[in-house]
Amino acid sequence: MNIRIALAGNPNSGKTTLFNALTGSNQFVGNWPGVTVEKKEGKLRRREGVTVTDLPGIYSLSPYTPEEVVARNYLTGERPDVILNIVDGTNLERNLYLTTQLTELGIPVVVAVNMIDVVRKSGDRIDIPELSRRLGCRVVEISAMKGIGLDEAVEEVLRAAESDKTQPVHRFSEPVEQALSAIEARAATGFPEAQRRWYALKLFERDEKILGKLQPDAAVAEAVEKEIQAVEQKLDDDSASIVINERYGYISDMIRHCYRKKNAGGLSISDKIDRVVTNRWAGLPIFAAVMFLVYYLSMVTVGTFATDWANDGLFGDGWHLLGIGSSAYEEAAEQYGDSDAIIQAYLSAYGNEELAAALDAESESYNAEAVGAALGELLNLVPADASVIYEVTDEETLAVTEYASGKTDLEAAVEAYLNTEYKAAPGAPTPEEYGVWVPGIPVLAANGLEAAGTPEWLDGLLLDGIIAGVGAVLGFVPQMLVLFLLLAFLESCGYLSRIAFVLDRVFRRFGLSGKSFIPMLVGSGCGVPGIMASRTIESERDRRMTIITTTFIPCGAKIPFISMIAGALFGNSPLVATSAYFIGLAAIIISGIMLKKTRMFAGDPAPFVMELPAYRLPTVGNVLRSMWERGWSFIKKAGTIILLSTIVIWFTSYFGVVDGSFRMLAEDELEYSILAAIGSGIAWIFAPLGWGTWQAAVASVTGLVAKENIVGTMGILYGAGGNVYASLAAAFTGISGFSFLVFNLLCAPCFAAIGAIRREMNSAKWTWFAIGYQCGFAYAVALMIYQFGLLFTGEVNVIGLVAALAVLAGILWLLFRPAGRRGLKKAVRTAS
Amino acid sequence: MPLTLAGIGEECRIKRVGGSPEMKKHLEALGFSVGGCVTVVHTLGGNVIVKVKESRIAVSREMAQNILV
Repeated sequence: MNIRIALAGNPNSGKTTLFNALTGSNQFVGNWPGVTVEKKEGKLRRREGVTVTDLPGIYSLSPYTPEEVVARNYLTGERPDVILNIVDGTNLERNLYLTTQLTELGIPVVVAVNMIDVVRKSGDRIDIPELSRRLGCRVVEISAMKGIGLDEAVEEVLRAAESDKTQPVHRFSEPVEQALSAIEARAATGFPEAQRRWYALKLFERDEKILGKLQPDAAVAEAVEKEIQAVEQKLDDDSASIVINERYGYISDMIRHCYRKKNAGGLSISDKIDRVVTNRWAGLPIFAAVMFLVYYLSMVTVGTFATDWANDGLFGDGWHLLGIGSSAYEEAAEQYGDSDAIIQAYLSAYGNEELAAALDAESESYNAEAVGAALGELLNLVPADASVIYEVTDEETLAVTEYASGKTDLEAAVEAYLNTEYKAAPGAPTPEEYGVWVPGIPVLAANGLEAAGTPEWLDGLLLDGIIAGVGAVLGFVPQMLVLFLLLAFLESCGYLSRIAFVLDRVFRRFGLSGKSFIPMLVGSGCGVPGIMASRTIESERDRRMTIITTTFIPCGAKIPFISMIAGALFGNSPLVATSAYFIGLAAIIISGIMLKKTRMFAGDPAPFVMELPAYRLPTVGNVLRSMWERGWSFIKKAGTIILLSTIVIWFTSYFGVVDGSFRMLAEDELEYSILAAIGSGIAWIFAPLGWGTWQAAVASVTGLVAKENIVGTMGILYGAGGNVYASLAAAFTGISGFSFLVFNLLCAPCFAAIGAIRREMNSAKWTWFAIGYQCGFAYAVALMIYQFGLLFTGEVNVIGLVAALAVLAGILWLLFRPAGRRGLKKAVRTAS
Repeated sequence: MPLTLAGIGEECRIKRVGGSPEMKKHLEALGFSVGGCVTVVHTLGGNVIVKVKESRIAVSREMAQNILV
């Protein structure tokens, strides 16, 4: 026995909770064909062969939002065996509007009155038998959250699927009914009996989608139109409104007979909360405080801790089990400080080869006694007034800092080196000695591969390609999970829709929705969860716009690269990083205004109409499930598209032709790689931006794997002379460096984020549009920066300047031209 | 008068729902039916939060002006 149940109901009626309760973990999440509306299916618990399809939350079956179209097409096209209609018992009247439409479809309907516990608690009473009689279908009371009445509901649904024929009981006024009969006889005889009335009603409402589907011939269409006009004249309203008003009339009558309310009116707790959180003065500060908390928890405290662990521990060198020993190790390491660098600096200034050999920790003859003797001799060789400069390189940004040191520093360093009080052997302390040290995946994999004796290329593919690439992406998972958890909480408790309301006026101005703020805020930590957070935006148009612009904000991975440029070319000016944020913000605003005037996004922003669900404490299960669904879809992405991309980048950067033979390259031979060849091939494209060198082009390409890779690549390509920053300063001018910075800031994000864009757009065309737009916009801005910058230094390049002026004029025109009116209707249609 | 002018807490009867046919239908599906009751719960710079048939709906000023009570 195969039974298909369709779960239908208003948004916020508890549909998701019911769906989760009915199906447990047997769920499959996908998309409805052609739209970005999520489709969920599941197998009913403890029953064989019963499938539950969760339809999107809808208010009616009219075809104006993508959700309604999806639901209606499914119900009329696939015709499930039974519809389980969940209605909010605390808001029966509005919810029954959909119910009366569902009962007209000729599919058995079972109505589940949800939140019955709340209804009972407030002293209200619902006359279930009477409601059932007036609706013409089975009615049960449930509480999806508390798990009340679910078994009974399932029983009723299965019984209805076997035997019932739901016939709508409600009748319209006499003129409408007469017209419906006439239309049914003229135009709907081709359908099974149970569906004729529905099609007749749709024709009466002049439903364009149904008209287009039926294609009645001219004579029939004319006869139908005549019937409609007769009724419209008689009742002095348009046919659709007549139907809607009579439907509500019937429902009000039904409510009067079935629903006994104990005390009417008064402000609910939700209303009182709303007075505060949407208050003109308090609204924005409260919102800022909530967002700060979300940001602080996910990006700074828990998130950073988790991401550090994932990046430096799991996908790095390793970590201390349960963190025991970490602080002791860090203390020891700090005490040890730069001792190695100081000793090395003096060794090269005053030492000799013999001493260097004795101090080589890698050598086989290395032993504590010889080291002690060698260091003692070094101290003897160094004059008392010696002063040597030593360098320390920052691992993240490759910044080199020089320190001056005297002989006393050397003495302290030697002591720290030899002191084994806080460590096992001479030299820097190692983390293994301070707790149970768990090696990271790369370390384990390297050891395993070494033991297995695998060929070098396989080692490289696995370690440098797959583990490094995918690991860099997966490292963000813990942080994302924390963030998704908090967002799921805000979403299901009802605050997110208030935020949208408060911010809507601000964001309307540049074509975005009030809900666009959250993706952007999140995107300042990592673009991937940022893009995924756009899912809470209902309007498809607003969502696409948000997805395209979110990654303009500098994410965490762009920070090392920004610091690198600032350090190498701008004397570590804090203005560089600040300007990066402002440029990102300006890019969003300018793009918003430009895009909303194009045909794709055209039209006035959809007027804001949105239900504010009553505040409620979400269930732990639902919040965790929502968090996991989003997190898992990202992890799956990392296993497919990101994996493939990193392998391609790895192959092209570690293989190449040296002296006429194709072979695998060492890390410092990047200049011979295929990637370098590609870089040289495309470098001319960037010449107008001021950095048409293959090195810069290659760095930008590797930035696609992960933006922090730009630093690593630059380190290899410009590191030959020893000091990366000095080589960078020689290769770039301030203007070309800034142009390079801005291009990489605004252009296509990393593969992980592109994967997220693909997932959220659910369309290859829109994904390419997003990437193309981002790269094009980045190119235009970088071009202007370089060419106008040259103008100030006096080295004007006439062709370039003309191009930059043309780009500027183009952008200004796109910004200030009057918006076309064509998209207006479309905008209204996509609004929900 | 348009809904924007209704006083807070005052229960009004909806006389007409205007706007584009699509928006009108959407509003009606949300519970703004002619003859039904609507109460303004809260306003924010012209935008209103109203109570319609037990649900709270946020409506922008442009939309609220199309709802006559």
